[in-house]
Amino acid sequence: MTMTSETQTTVRMPQTPLAEFWSYFIQNRGALIGFCFIVFIVLLAIFANFVAPHHPHEQFRDFILVPPAWAEGGNAQFWLGTDGVGRDILSRLIHGARLSLLIGLVIVSVSLVLGICLGLIAGYFGGFADVAIMRFSDILLSMPALLLAIAIVAILGPSIVNSGLALSLVYLPHYVRLTRASVLTEINKDYVISSRVAGAGALRLMFIVILPNCLAPLIVQATLGFSNAILDMAALGFLGLGAQPPLPEWGSMLATAREFIQSAWWVVTFPGLIILVTVLAFNLMGDGLRDALDPKLKQ
Amino acid sequence: MKKSLSLFAGAALATAMASTAVADTFVFCSEASPEGFNPAFYTSGTTFDASSRTMFNRLVEFERGGTSVVPGLAESWEISEDGLTYTFNLREGVKFHARSDFRPSREFNAEDVVFSFERQMNPDHPFHGVSNQDYAYFGYMGMADAIDSISAPDDYTIVFNLSAPNATFLANLAMDFASIHSAEYADAMMDAGTPNQVDITPIGTGPFILAQYRKDSVIRYVRHNAYWEGAADIERLVFSITPDASVRYAKLRAGECHHMVYPNPSDVAAMQDDPNINVLSQPGLNVGYLAFNTNKAPFDNDLVRQALNIATNKEAILDAVYQGAGQVAKNPIPPTMWSYNENVVDYDYDPEYARQLLAEAGFEDGFETDIWAMPVQRPYNPNARRMAELIQADWAAVGVDAEIVSFEWGEYLERTQNGEHETMMLGWTGDNGDPDNFLNTLLGCQAAETGGNRAFWCDEEFNSLVDQALRTPVVEERTALYEEAQVVFKAAAPWITIAHSVVFEPVRPEVEGYVMSPFGSHSFYGVSLAD
Repeated sequence: MTMTSETQTTVRMPQTPLAEFWSYFIQNRGALIGFCFIVFIVLLAIFANFVAPHHPHEQFRDFILVPPAWAEGGNAQFWLGTDGVGRDILSRLIHGARLSLLIGLVIVSVSLVLGICLGLIAGYFGGFADVAIMRFSDILLSMPALLLAIAIVAILGPSIVNSGLALSLVYLPHYVRLTRASVLTEINKDYVISSRVAGAGALRLMFIVILPNCLAPLIVQATLGFSNAILDMAALGFLGLGAQPPLPEWGSMLATAREFIQSAWWVVTFPGLIILVTVLAFNLMGDGLRDALDPKLKQ
Repeated sequence: MKKSLSLFAGAALATAMASTAVADTFVFCSEASPEGFNPAFYTSGTTFDASSRTMFNRLVEFERGGTSVVPGLAESWEISEDGLTYTFNLREGVKFHARSDFRPSREFNAEDVVFSFERQMNPDHPFHGVSNQDYAYFGYMGMADAIDSISAPDDYTIVFNLSAPNATFLANLAMDFASIHSAEYADAMMDAGTPNQVDITPIGTGPFILAQYRKDSVIRYVRHNAYWEGAADIERLVFSITPDASVRYAKLRAGECHHMVYPNPSDVAAMQDDPNINVLSQPGLNVGYLAFNTNKAPFDNDLVRQALNIATNKEAILDAVYQGAGQVAKNPIPPTMWSYNENVVDYDYDPEYARQLLAEAGFEDGFETDIWAMPVQRPYNPNARRMAELIQADWAAVGVDAEIVSFEWGEYLERTQNGEHETMMLGWTGDNGDPDNFLNTLLGCQAAETGGNRAFWCDEEFNSLVDQALRTPVVEERTALYEEAQVVFKAAAPWITIAHSVVFEPVRPEVEGYVMSPFGSHSFYGVSLAD
């Protein structure tokens, strides 16, 4: 009985694009798990001040290298133990989530916005602008991403803002290429030509007519780029070029814990684990988004 | 090119032999590549381990495992009444290294000694500018001023004329920079048009001959069979360059090396429990410190320096960074050294009082500064970045915001020598067992000009005390002067003296006859491997 009524509604009322997207998205179990985890991490990051049991910089000098609460010698005050100078690892991870997500967001937004603008210009105008922009992004692409970032940070000086800038520049070409390619496939379609005939200006054509139809691949790329940004940020932090102490950035936490790899496993394990899980969550969600947004995969 | 080729041929031979008799190969897991192979140019212990301690001898040597001076290439010596003339009688029958690319035609004699010193001392010497490097220690120790002239009345006598009496002169000659090179090899290389080969693949009289070097990977040596003290027990010596302490530990456990330097303090307990590892230890002749750049405001103010001394919790540093293996330092010289002043009172940790002093100095709201932390592990400071984080938190508690700055090691030393820092961490391991080597080399006015004094602190009272002590031959008088100098130092507080560490050296149980050096150097003559 219920079955028939449900089929009837789907047949009768076409879904809104958002509802349709959502129904495709939740079919993908992995994507849903990734999404839920990301929501969880985002909430942790936003409410870090209330959730974290301690201040991330506070050094409990009497509790250096305390193991996690459940392990032998653990202390209920520090669930995941303390690091080499007595800071609570759980609190640092929670506050580190704020840093990592924020920096990921900034990196992705900067490179996405710039990439879209440059890609639209290259694809829409063609000619010299196209050649100049695309060759520039080819040059950027020809260098290994992390190496380029290291070079930029070495020039600007190590700090979290500079490494964010460096990484935005590194990711820029991906968005430029993607946008340009979509623009080229869209620009000669009838709806664009009719807008043009109706007298729409270049800006209107670019941003209001063409851009919305190119968004799907960009959203997928941005989600996957988010995980890359977090990972590369951690790598820069690990090399001592990203966040500077005492900021609780995941990569630098991992780097300073290296010496304990054989004597205090918890100091190394938890930052590594959270980087792994977060990046995995973003990748799963990115995959799900791609499936849900790609018209070719729809029934 | 020809030379390097034949050198590699020798190395290939050495490797081929290594596979037949593994038991006689001693592998040392060292922490970094040496800066080069001429010890006169450099200051790091890493370089000395790889050059002067293996390949060279000096006129006089430090006794194995001690700080007293014993005969080396000089069999005996006389010092004139006025302390200005040192006459050395050289040992006969000492042979230089013979390699496939160079075979010495004569034995060691006075010409080699004159060459080795004149090269560093005389700017007109044909080899002075070769390799375009500074003679770092020769400058630090003020040798150019100390030595008036060197002469060789005959082949086996050397006379040093000093410009002023110098109580540390003899011990200075046992230091790494005073290693004796082959003058004949230098002439041959000059004739061949490759004078800098003398510094790349040098020839010395030491127990081991350089066979192969690959940067950041490995240094191979073979035994010098004609060594004057008798050939070493180990036939081949290999330095396996392993920058990461955890990796060194893993290699030692796996038996891939017989001896490793600078273990992580956090691993020492586990090593002591391991039946396959013997952990040797002794209090180091060292000090780890934080120097304020007294040329820069606000550190030109005594009150600020004292306040930050008081604001720093050294006990916590000792626990977290040294894992308790050491003791809190109050003087710039270690307690095992003569003239250590027991009566000096250290600044007690008291953040309230520190705030008060800062307010008195006009910094009620604190100020911003930087802490330079070295990127490498040293015997006197196993983890400078962690130490910096602790100090950063301590200072933040009294309102001083410090940013931690770090550079690659060579860059770090150079920039701090130029005084780019506001506060920086470093340390020192004694080179010759004399307090002058700490108090004058690290805190004297001359060192403030050359940058060896990273605090750039030049105090007339302190400097005249230390200067006077250097010119006095009587140990009791020198002790009194140095004790007073330590009081002056503590009051002015150009440093935070942090700790004197215990040095650990884990070795495999089959290693026999290894003796730790109080100077923190590593030499493998006299070491053998049990079956």
